[in-house]
Amino acid sequence: MLEIKNLHASVFDTPILKGINLSVNAGEVHAIMGPNGSGKSTLSNVIAGRDGYDITEGSIDYLGKDLSELEADERACEGIFLAFQYPVEIPGVSNMAMLKAAINSMRKYRGEDEISAGDFLKLIREKAALVEMKQEFLKRSVNEGFSGGEKKRNEILQMAMLEPKLALLDETDSGLDIDALKIVSDGVNALRAPDRAMVVVTHYQRLLDHIVPDYVHVLADGKIVKSGDKSLALELEEKGYNWIEGLQKAS
Amino acid sequence: MIAIDQTQSWLDQHSLTQFSEPAWLSAQRAQALSRFEKIGLPGVRDEQWRYTNLRKLKSQALSVSSPANLGIELSSSNFVRLVFVDGHFDADHSSSIDQSGVHLSSLKHALDNQADLLETHFGASLPQDAHGFTELNTAFSQDGFVLHVAKNTAVDQIIEVVFVSQSKQSLSHTRNLIIAEANSQCTVVERHIGVPDAVYLSNTVTEVIAGDNAIVDHYKIQQESDEAFHMGAAFVKQANGSQVSNHNVALSGLVTRNDIVSDLLGGGAHMEMNGLVLGQGRQHIDNHTQVNHLVANCTSDEYYKSILDDQSRSVFRGRIIVAQDAQQTNADQQNNNLLLSDKAEADTKPQLEIYADDVKCSHGATVGQLDQTSLFYLKSRGINAGSARALLTFAFANEVIDRIKVDSIKNELTQLIAGELLSGLEDLV
Repeated sequence: MLEIKNLHASVFDTPILKGINLSVNAGEVHAIMGPNGSGKSTLSNVIAGRDGYDITEGSIDYLGKDLSELEADERACEGIFLAFQYPVEIPGVSNMAMLKAAINSMRKYRGEDEISAGDFLKLIREKAALVEMKQEFLKRSVNEGFSGGEKKRNEILQMAMLEPKLALLDETDSGLDIDALKIVSDGVNALRAPDRAMVVVTHYQRLLDHIVPDYVHVLADGKIVKSGDKSLALELEEKGYNWIEGLQKAS
Repeated sequence: MIAIDQTQSWLDQHSLTQFSEPAWLSAQRAQALSRFEKIGLPGVRDEQWRYTNLRKLKSQALSVSSPANLGIELSSSNFVRLVFVDGHFDADHSSSIDQSGVHLSSLKHALDNQADLLETHFGASLPQDAHGFTELNTAFSQDGFVLHVAKNTAVDQIIEVVFVSQSKQSLSHTRNLIIAEANSQCTVVERHIGVPDAVYLSNTVTEVIAGDNAIVDHYKIQQESDEAFHMGAAFVKQANGSQVSNHNVALSGLVTRNDIVSDLLGGGAHMEMNGLVLGQGRQHIDNHTQVNHLVANCTSDEYYKSILDDQSRSVFRGRIIVAQDAQQTNADQQNNNLLLSDKAEADTKPQLEIYADDVKCSHGATVGQLDQTSLFYLKSRGINAGSARALLTFAFANEVIDRIKVDSIKNELTQLIAGELLSGLEDLV
């Protein structure tokens, strides 16, 4: 589904990613771990198509398409979803309004009719239950005055509504207490599907107790320095990121 | 080419107009004219007009149009509606209201039938330092509407007054009065529209007198032609416990100036000023507001927002005066400006003058652009760049739109800004 080859990328002209190779297939969950500043968030933002995050070398192939040719909204319409590390507050636009606009934009992209008001309400009620979000939150402005946990739950609600093929979860565990972590992870796990891939970016191993990955990659200084299965996350937790620096020097 | 100042020719035009009306009104008109002859039209050297250049207006040869048939199709409306064409009352396209205690008519009709009421109130709300356009309005206003609501009466329909400018190079001065007696309630929507591309001056003044505990919601939607000049004023006097809201929406016109002044004269009075500017092309919109807290225990809230695209420009001056005796005043003012183009410009000038010592006053002014992170957030949800911008622009305007209590206007503005994005979700945004 996702084929990243020798990816070099800069954020506003500062080189961050320095040769990433990563292959993700449908149905797989990949975890990307690494110390602060290693380029984890940059990788997810480059895939999602954020302005200022430019590919300088290498390529990202997604379902046979060269991603660099698509705008951020086109990538979303093609099925890529980014759950933000810091979800944006948009006072004046309700969650409902934004989601309806999003769903209809995607439908239009695919040449489908707009969703009816009734179907939309039914869908959003069903998905809100998945992340235990109260109805009143749906009518509130996007993330405005939401706690850290509520914002992250809202990201998962959006993901559930938009049904992506490739979900990028950027530090979804940051700012979550244990209860919120459980609700968010349960929501994510419920969305695991054979035709859906997930890339989970996290600093800590604890999220991976809840969202168990098929593969774990360790990122340091813009490169993947080690890949393995879920046991790699535990090893990393035990040995700390200093161990990675040792690996880097050795390589 | 040197533009020739044509304003003297306007006066010459006016002197041909013969009014047959009560002596007190003729006296007021003569006084206003003599004041105008002293002060003339404002110029950029006048501090209150320094950002608004009237050179283009002054060089226009304008004249008063004769009454003519309405030349455009008005959209249908569920409201009671009065229509004025180039400043003249159009009875054919107007409806009437049949409710005890409610009198709605043209100014001319009211002069014949409610002369005492008008003698008491006409001109009584005008500030001492009214500018030349207001003086011209008093001197030459052809017609306008008068709404009188008797005490303890709530008008059971929304009243809409449509001012159409259709003759090219026309000059119209309309004068309106809303007189809401004690414990009465009314909602009045003024619409100012023009035929596309016509050059004209629409100079309109509305006086609002709110009695004890009266509730008046006053809307003005300005949709003049893109070549038009619109000079508008609302002068409000508020008694004990009255609640007045003024919603000032400017959507087009070449040069627009609004002066909105409220005198809070009775304890517990509340004034809400709500303003929205959508600037495009080379439009210039200048809003001057003033709340005079003259007695204790009054409140005022002011929210003005401008959304400026292309080379448009908005000016905001918000003056709040708290007199020495106006203790326990609570006054809030916000002016936020969103620039959608790097050639647009916003000038904002909050002005608080506080002479009392036990008051709560706050103000804030911002000028900014759409947030790039928010744009990316929406795009990452599949919303294309144009729609994402529209949604964020709507979000910016929504604080003002949300204060509008007439649903049809609320929906109209939502549509205008957000397009079809939010259709069917009006209750949820």
